[in-house]
Amino acid sequence: MTQQQEKLSAFMDGETHSADIMDDILRDEALKTKWQRYHVIRSGLRKEATVAPNMDITAAVAEALADEPTVMAPKPSRWRSLPLVGNVVPFAKQGGQFAVAASVAVAVVLGVQQMNKPEATEPFSTFETRAQFGGMAPVSLEQTRTLPRNDMDMVLEKKRKINALIADHEQQVKLKQAEEELTSTDKTEDTGSAPN
Amino acid sequence: MKINYVNFVPAFVGLVRLFLGWAVLVAAVANAAQIGIEPSSEASADSQAQSPQGNHAEVSPQSAGAWLAKLSDAAQNLNFEVAFVVSRINNETVPYLWRHGIVDGIQMEQLNMQNGPGRELIRVDDVVSVFEPDTRPYSLHSRAISGPIPFELLYSPESLAEGYAFVEVGRARVAGRPAQQLRVVSRDNTRFSYQLWLDEATGMLLKLNTLDLQGNMLEQIQVTAMNITDTAPSYFSKVNRHSLPEPLALSVSSAPPQHWVVEYLPEGMKEIKQDVRRLALTGQVVEYKLFSDGLVDVSVYVQPAEDAVGSDLVLRHELSTFLTLTDGKVQVTVVGEIPLQTANAIATSLRLKSKSND
Repeated sequence: MTQQQEKLSAFMDGETHSADIMDDILRDEALKTKWQRYHVIRSGLRKEATVAPNMDITAAVAEALADEPTVMAPKPSRWRSLPLVGNVVPFAKQGGQFAVAASVAVAVVLGVQQMNKPEATEPFSTFETRAQFGGMAPVSLEQTRTLPRNDMDMVLEKKRKINALIADHEQQVKLKQAEEELTSTDKTEDTGSAPN
Repeated sequence: MKINYVNFVPAFVGLVRLFLGWAVLVAAVANAAQIGIEPSSEASADSQAQSPQGNHAEVSPQSAGAWLAKLSDAAQNLNFEVAFVVSRINNETVPYLWRHGIVDGIQMEQLNMQNGPGRELIRVDDVVSVFEPDTRPYSLHSRAISGPIPFELLYSPESLAEGYAFVEVGRARVAGRPAQQLRVVSRDNTRFSYQLWLDEATGMLLKLNTLDLQGNMLEQIQVTAMNITDTAPSYFSKVNRHSLPEPLALSVSSAPPQHWVVEYLPEGMKEIKQDVRRLALTGQVVEYKLFSDGLVDVSVYVQPAEDAVGSDLVLRHELSTFLTLTDGKVQVTVVGEIPLQTANAIATSLRLKSKSND
């Protein structure tokens, strides 16, 4: 088996030209899938991913569904008339199964998209990320606002008052010198001595 | 600009801690010996003998007061171009450019904030012009630019002696130059203290740390480049004095005396002014007093409780403490760069003046 693997990888790298490995691949189902996987991995590593995933999700999903007990989604009318616990549980179960299969598909699709993404050489890429942030920020803000409106108003009002006081203090400190100057020149005019 | 000094901040904190125990000892001794700043003839003679170009291998030991006199002399008479950075905990470092020169016998000074949209202050003799984004340029009569370095420390350190003691610590090396380290400690230990390093050769400020009562560093000003020249920086020849805005005419309003007094004030702190005013942002009417000890300014606001914040609250905003207390009828607010304990002591010492005392 390991010998075959070595042969296979050598063949992929173009290092052997013997035909028997080809025959092996054609004959051996496991080797065949391996051959395919190797190609996917290689193109993935090279960021080509053109061969990409004809990993057969549909087959997996079909298989999962086949293994499932045959209870499909009951008709609403029947479900209402027969409120049996036994009926409800498989339904939920089956829903779960479905969700899992769907999520696998989503993950794969996402993965492929990531692989196929063109290299970001354009300077516009920064703009894109910014746009994403800008789009998302307000949504999350709105969702996390849990304070009732009245409290919010009070908090804002308080903040405004505090800011007014701090701003006034800063302004007074800025003006202080100029005013001191004014009073000190008034006082020192008689003596004629300059400050400092 | 060598901003990588910032990387040294943690190291300096360590050093500061190391120094602190020692410096407290020195401070105690100095207090006992009543060594303060003495603007006596002795001190000024000492500083004159020390010419700025003097050979610093022969720097004789001087009192802290003489060093500060030297700083004051340098800040007012030298032509220099200084780049410094201001770092505060949890804040980005802010770089400044500071120029000073004597042009035709007139002092010219410039302070420029180097990051962001900037803020530029230009002083020509006793007029300071302020250029800020979003505000129309204006000018004020003032003999000093109010920047990160307290101007009283630069221009009239002797005026601080009432509230603060100055202690010489020793020699050090700062910004690549031999320096003298001094400490400025409030006499009653109710305000933040300072450590400063002065250039041995010229007396120029190289570094200034502001420490809280526990000795933690709140702010650091560090000179990164200094260029002292014989002639004024060429920048000042480009300043067109006639195009600077006219200084605003401020009137000193004599407000009616208020019915409250602050009974506790830290040593050396004095009332600068009082008035009744509307706040610019909210239009609320407040009774106001401004106190200062030269290095820090404290505002006290009194207003009816119903249109004030409405509850007791303490905030720290950079170096400033914001404390507001209410008794249900009146709200007292203290804002300033002082420790919380001191702000609380000031706020709680407020008394209504009885009519008979008026």
